[in-house]
Amino acid sequence: MQPILSLQNVSKQYGDKTVLNNVNLDIYPGQIIGYIGPNGAGKSTTVKILTGVIQDYSGTVLLNGKDIKEDILGLKQMIGYVPELADLYDLLTPNEYLHFVGALYHLPDAVIKERSSRILQSFGLLDNLNQRMDSFSKGMRQKVLLTSGILHNPSIVILDEPMSGLDANAVIVVKELMQVLKQEGKTIFYCSHMMDVVERVSDKIVLIDKGTIIANDTIEALREGSGQSLEKIFAQMTTSENLNETAGNIAQAMQDK
Amino acid sequence: MPKRCRINKPPKEIKMNKFLLFLILLPKKIWATLGADVAQLRAILKVKLMLDDRRPMSMGRQQQAKKKPVRFMTALSVFMSMIIGFMYIIPLMMEDSFMGLWIYFTVFLLMLSFMLISDFSTVLFDTRDKSILLPRPVNERTLLLSRLLHMFIYLFRIVFPMSLAGWIVLGVSKGWLAAVWFPLMVIMLTVIALFLVNAGYLLILRFAKPGRFKDVLNYFQIIFSIMFFACVYLMPRAIDNTGFIQLKHTDFAWAQFTPTYWLAASFTWVEADKLSSLTQWLSPLSIIAPLVLVWLTVKYLSPSFAKRIGNIDVAVAETVSPKTTSVEPKNKSEFYLKLGNWLNKTPIGKAGFSIAWLQTSRSRNFKMRVYPSFGFVPVYFFYLITMNSKNSISDTWASLPETSTFVLLLYMTSFVVMNLLVMLVQSDQYKASWIYYSSPIASPGEVMLGAFKAVWAKYFLPMFMIVSCFVVYVWGFKAILDVVLALINITLFAMGVLRVAYRRLPFSSMEQMNEKGNRFFKTMFIMILPTSLGFGHYLTTTNPWLWWMKWLFIVLSSILLWLLWDSYKNTTWDQVKKVDLAS
Repeated sequence: MQPILSLQNVSKQYGDKTVLNNVNLDIYPGQIIGYIGPNGAGKSTTVKILTGVIQDYSGTVLLNGKDIKEDILGLKQMIGYVPELADLYDLLTPNEYLHFVGALYHLPDAVIKERSSRILQSFGLLDNLNQRMDSFSKGMRQKVLLTSGILHNPSIVILDEPMSGLDANAVIVVKELMQVLKQEGKTIFYCSHMMDVVERVSDKIVLIDKGTIIANDTIEALREGSGQSLEKIFAQMTTSENLNETAGNIAQAMQDK
Repeated sequence: MPKRCRINKPPKEIKMNKFLLFLILLPKKIWATLGADVAQLRAILKVKLMLDDRRPMSMGRQQQAKKKPVRFMTALSVFMSMIIGFMYIIPLMMEDSFMGLWIYFTVFLLMLSFMLISDFSTVLFDTRDKSILLPRPVNERTLLLSRLLHMFIYLFRIVFPMSLAGWIVLGVSKGWLAAVWFPLMVIMLTVIALFLVNAGYLLILRFAKPGRFKDVLNYFQIIFSIMFFACVYLMPRAIDNTGFIQLKHTDFAWAQFTPTYWLAASFTWVEADKLSSLTQWLSPLSIIAPLVLVWLTVKYLSPSFAKRIGNIDVAVAETVSPKTTSVEPKNKSEFYLKLGNWLNKTPIGKAGFSIAWLQTSRSRNFKMRVYPSFGFVPVYFFYLITMNSKNSISDTWASLPETSTFVLLLYMTSFVVMNLLVMLVQSDQYKASWIYYSSPIASPGEVMLGAFKAVWAKYFLPMFMIVSCFVVYVWGFKAILDVVLALINITLFAMGVLRVAYRRLPFSSMEQMNEKGNRFFKTMFIMILPTSLGFGHYLTTTNPWLWWMKWLFIVLSSILLWLLWDSYKNTTWDQVKKVDLAS
């Protein structure tokens, strides 16, 4: 099977700092990819390359076998992107914002209206459709962002920490949503620090550290029969520090006179 | 071993704050007896003063505040207050010193009230107090005292420098008795101002929805900055021209019912010859009335206000029920959509149009920057036409139709246009522009042009129409051709500025982005373009037989406008100034 997205020898530098170092990664349709790594490992940079926001990288990214640089708009149209802690124009109402975003994806007004009200209704946000978002809680904003990311029915959905600020019920909805989208044949690229969720929903887990992919496999394979949690595996692979000792140091600091 | 990390140098503490804090905390014993924890009191006041320093002023020059961390705001506001105080000592020079004092106190009261109303609520009712201070082990008394002392410092920093100039003038002209009496009257004046501010807040809260309280205050700030500007430019001229100096207090019988009249009356005791039976009776009111107002404020206004403002926080932060925030009326939203559909062909253009239309209606920062400039245009025009003439204002007005100053007036609207364009690409929410980069926009120029159309149609055109009506009213219908030419030329100027200096997506730049290189040329271009267009236009009005040049000018400008328009519309991604959203 042909990968829907394929990164080949992708590198990216900011000044003399290498953020991505020769990344090779194939993503197949209908999969949920859990993309994890410590802070500053290069996760956001990868996502920005995949969404066409960053275009000056070396190496090649293929979408259905074609270089994305040839048709960056086609790529953007196929991708739905929900960035982490994303800013939105919170002086607008969800209705106005979604119409604005929908227009950027060339959706007709009627379709935007139909889809956005249905999605927001499912999120329990329909009553707030005409209220300015500056008074919204973090979770409510996140729901609007999620809606704006899937409004145009993308075939690849890139979610960066999508559950942040969501209440427990909404977290269940989003987790379920990922499964439903997967069954529809959509590809989901899921970045998160919530190891337990990643462990449960992902078909494949990709671990990046210091700009290099150090693991790319199913959770079962990563465990190697050890039965360890993803959290433990993550710690073993990404840090040499003894985390218990670190916590001990912090506790010690409060007691010193 | 834990690694030592490099510690950044902390920002410098401001000396004046240190000194004020020292003074305020001198009577430690008293504060302690009152039940306050002095160490906590010091900590709270220190932070409050620091925050005052870093908060932008109400003076309408907020734009400079963003990029560099705001500091020394207090020093700046003290300086500003001093200048304001200096401005209205002019009445004290009047022949009728009673009249002078009355005007002085009235202007003082108005200025102070306006200044307080625009940012007093943020000082007094910092909503963060609730979440930051209440969970800590701080007792009621300390909290109350910290609030009162902070308010006192805040008022002192405004009122003292404001009254300084007047104090000196009065002391010199009327002797030491007046100089001793003056501070007491200033305190009384402050009390009256506090009453007015509290009453004003309650009035605003009665008529504005709780969530929009800050928007209304925003309008007060805008009015204040226009008033300030108008005072600076027009007051000296008005005083020169209107025989102001000779006005007598006996001409204004109604004045004796104003509190500031009573304050002025109390000074007649100093100059025995001015003392009359009327002022004798009125002057005790200068003490009694403020005391009554204090009682009213403390007893009725403040608690009621505090309760209401408390409700605001709750309304904004927690309960987002459909009732508290406004739901846009249907017909209003349809208007801009219709207009957007009519002015833009592509959905991308419409998206740019609607984002600019909505965002400009709601962003306080935008209003703060752009709205005052609407007021500046008539003020500045009036200033310029009366600048050199020794004639009276009515003579200047009568001879206006014979001049060509309408060209100046028409082209002065480009000042507003410039502000509009800057604020169209800037926003404190510039990070929200990520959406343009991740969505499939082939030609960003369409979004940018759509956004320009929105501000052009929404702000520039109505303003230009009003100015044109004035021009046609004064200069007659022969000026219509000039109006058309100016409209084209200013739009051409706007397009030129966008094309050369602001090729950016709407609301996508930080305030005051550092620009490398040819900034000088851009600034020169922005200055020279409207001036030379206006001057060219002016030349065509110097001789009646040059009418054909206006037509030629219209044709040439239209062609140029069309070329620029097209080039801007076809802006590619490579040509757009991108902002670093990575940070």
